[in-house]
Amino acid sequence: MTDIQESAVPGSPGGAPQRVGGSSRTKWSHRLQLHRLSGLYLLAVLILLFSLWIPEVFLTPATLQGIISDQSISTILAIGVLLALAAGQYDLSAAGILGFSALMSVWLNSAAGLDPWLSIVLAILIGVAIGLFNGFLVAVIGINSFIATLGSSSGIMALASLISGDKFVGPASQEFRSVALATFGPIPALLVYVIVVALIAWYLLEHTTVGRRLSATGANIDTARLVGVSTKRYVVGGLVLSATLASIAGVLAAAKTGTVTSTFGAAYLLPAFAGCFLGTTQLKPGRFNVWGTVLALVLLGTGVKGFQLASGQNWITYLFNAVALLTAVGLAVVFERRRTTASR
Amino acid sequence: MSLATPPAPAILVEDVTKSFGGVPALNAASLRIESGEVHALLGINGSGKSTLAKVLAGFHVPESGSVEVFGEALRFGSASASHAAGLRFVHQDMGLIDSLSVEENLNLTMRRDRLLQWVSPRKERLRARALLAKYDLDVDPAGLVADLGPTERTILAIARAVEDQMAEGQGIVVLDEPTAALPSDEVQRLFDVIAKLKASGITIIYVSHRMPEILLVADRLTVLRDGRVAASAEVAGLSLDRLIELVVGYHIRPATAARQRREFGAPVLVAKGVSSGGVRDFSVEARAGEVVGVTGLLGSGFEQVLGAIFGSSPIRSGTIELEGKPVSTSTSIRKRIVRGLTLAPADRRRLGSIAAWTVRENLTLPAPGTGSDWNLVERRERKEAIGWLQRLTVQPSDPERLFATLSGGNQQKVVISRWLRVGAKALMLDEPTNGVDAGAKVTIHQAISDAAAQGSTVLIASSDVEELIQVCDRVLVMGGGEIRSELTGEQLTDAALNTAILAATR
Repeated sequence: MTDIQESAVPGSPGGAPQRVGGSSRTKWSHRLQLHRLSGLYLLAVLILLFSLWIPEVFLTPATLQGIISDQSISTILAIGVLLALAAGQYDLSAAGILGFSALMSVWLNSAAGLDPWLSIVLAILIGVAIGLFNGFLVAVIGINSFIATLGSSSGIMALASLISGDKFVGPASQEFRSVALATFGPIPALLVYVIVVALIAWYLLEHTTVGRRLSATGANIDTARLVGVSTKRYVVGGLVLSATLASIAGVLAAAKTGTVTSTFGAAYLLPAFAGCFLGTTQLKPGRFNVWGTVLALVLLGTGVKGFQLASGQNWITYLFNAVALLTAVGLAVVFERRRTTASR
Repeated sequence: MSLATPPAPAILVEDVTKSFGGVPALNAASLRIESGEVHALLGINGSGKSTLAKVLAGFHVPESGSVEVFGEALRFGSASASHAAGLRFVHQDMGLIDSLSVEENLNLTMRRDRLLQWVSPRKERLRARALLAKYDLDVDPAGLVADLGPTERTILAIARAVEDQMAEGQGIVVLDEPTAALPSDEVQRLFDVIAKLKASGITIIYVSHRMPEILLVADRLTVLRDGRVAASAEVAGLSLDRLIELVVGYHIRPATAARQRREFGAPVLVAKGVSSGGVRDFSVEARAGEVVGVTGLLGSGFEQVLGAIFGSSPIRSGTIELEGKPVSTSTSIRKRIVRGLTLAPADRRRLGSIAAWTVRENLTLPAPGTGSDWNLVERRERKEAIGWLQRLTVQPSDPERLFATLSGGNQQKVVISRWLRVGAKALMLDEPTNGVDAGAKVTIHQAISDAAAQGSTVLIASSDVEELIQVCDRVLVMGGGEIRSELTGEQLTDAALNTAILAATR
């Protein structure tokens, strides 16, 4: 992780931004960088809490593996959603695309009997096509992305229900399943995939002019247009990237479970958006950023897993996600207001 | 109150002073507006007339002085006190909601005794019809306001203001530039409405820059100049030239640093017969090193010229050339910028910047990074940004500060450096010192002059006469969408330019 040293410290109105780790008189909350690393501290607190509360079930390799395999898929989806959000577009169809790609890849592999790799490539291409369709609705027709992707996600559900006949699809072949279940030595393949995806997305977003223009489109589309950004292209690009990563996540999820139903994707939507918005309060406050999102999903995954293990209840998952999402967005709004109204 | 006392004036302003940052916008202004007259309030930009209107509206609280409305002291700083005193305002934007119907717009300001009182659609419709008939407005009450023409909109806004719980003959309507958006052949309809209101005993304060109209519509006038009342007179018997003289005044400021005759290079930006929006047949040939100003009253088209040339608003006809090569209508904004055609919009916050981003990112927006598209090194970008910030004396010259936290003047300097950085051949600035303090104005003007000295062509659209005189080699004055006059060299004084702007409506 680089360049986390440079964003101005929020809440330091007036003078020049204080450099992180500056003078000895810097407030302790600044020195701990609470404003942008709060998630990291919260994660430490959660781990400590569960380690003391339920050490025999929490501090096990199985728990770690569980968190990794659950959150890898959510994180890949969230990074896609993040790229669309960076371009100023809500992709509410992302979870639907995840579910549909999962279904299609297994269906092509099992019912149609295609080669696993061919099934995977076709399923991802279907995702790309849905992304292009979303982009067409938003950039060409001019429908608000919120509505456009809400609509297309219902259309996707219809297709999924039609193709599966509302029955389980699968099981996928062992070769197909090995895509997600393989390990590189002690390291699960899913962890490798998510790291690769995050690295590419981070580089694209923060170290290329394409990424800067994508973010400019999302931050102020009128200004972006007037400084020569082809905003429509970036809007379509954001939605296509989101759909593509959603279908990659879908294929991996299918490979992990082996059998899929038509409503497979739905549960993934909220954590992805929660991660993106929680991510804007971390590392680079006020910005949709990749590592903040990754940190947020690790945090959410750990919290959900820990509370599940401790209580054995399912409702805790929903509650934890709800609290995290609303707190995250609330904090993001408040921080943004403090940042941009400082000294005027 | 005995019957012998003469009726109280509608408005009596006495010694009102209001300053902004130590500079008086109104300086011991006193004036009297009789009940039932049409009173024109005149003055050039910055003369204090909008400040006076805002004092009346309860928006500004003056430091000293008093205002009486129909003989009763007006409580300052309260919009509802102004409303209760009988003052109604129709602003330039009319305050109508396009997406609602005529009737719904009329009902917006209706006060009901009880909040949840049953609204009878039939009664409302009848009321709206009666009201529209009263003002000779032949429009469908159920039709959308968006579909109305500018004249209907204006009359509708006036009708709504007057009918809003105004006591009979005890109302004052302030019309702020009501004809700015009207086609010249429909202005008479508005005057008919004004005559009707006057006949019913309503007092009208008419704020306008359009001198010929004043002669037609007003009974008396007050001229403000530099925050003071410069003249109060009967309109009858005034000639148009005398009226313009009154408004502009004879006070000629000491010449600002003798204008140097400079040699200009080859033509850089050439527009021929450009029509777009309210602009008709606009032509200009701007040379390297030259600073050309475009000005006029609001609605004269001057505010749309730069957008049309830049390509952010579509043009109906005409051609644009940059360095001798045509810029076609299909040329994307990106390609225009690459070729050196640039625009700094007036609305910096909404159209000219990403306020929540850093100064560095805002500075490099059109071409982020320092070379490769696929390897954007922030460290190098920062170094380059610091250079620009120091060159244009942006305070503080910290590239990582958030753009939103800079003052207006420093923000504008960042925007100018943005375009100089990508090698602007033609630098176009829309209201470059809009919302900028006096000190920053000077440095922005310096930056503009420097850009011209380096060989760029600068085109400025501005309503600030003083600014145009200070930085421009030549000023085009627009009226009715066309160029009406051109001032250059010795002609470029504030009296001459103000006169030309006011005369352009003829």
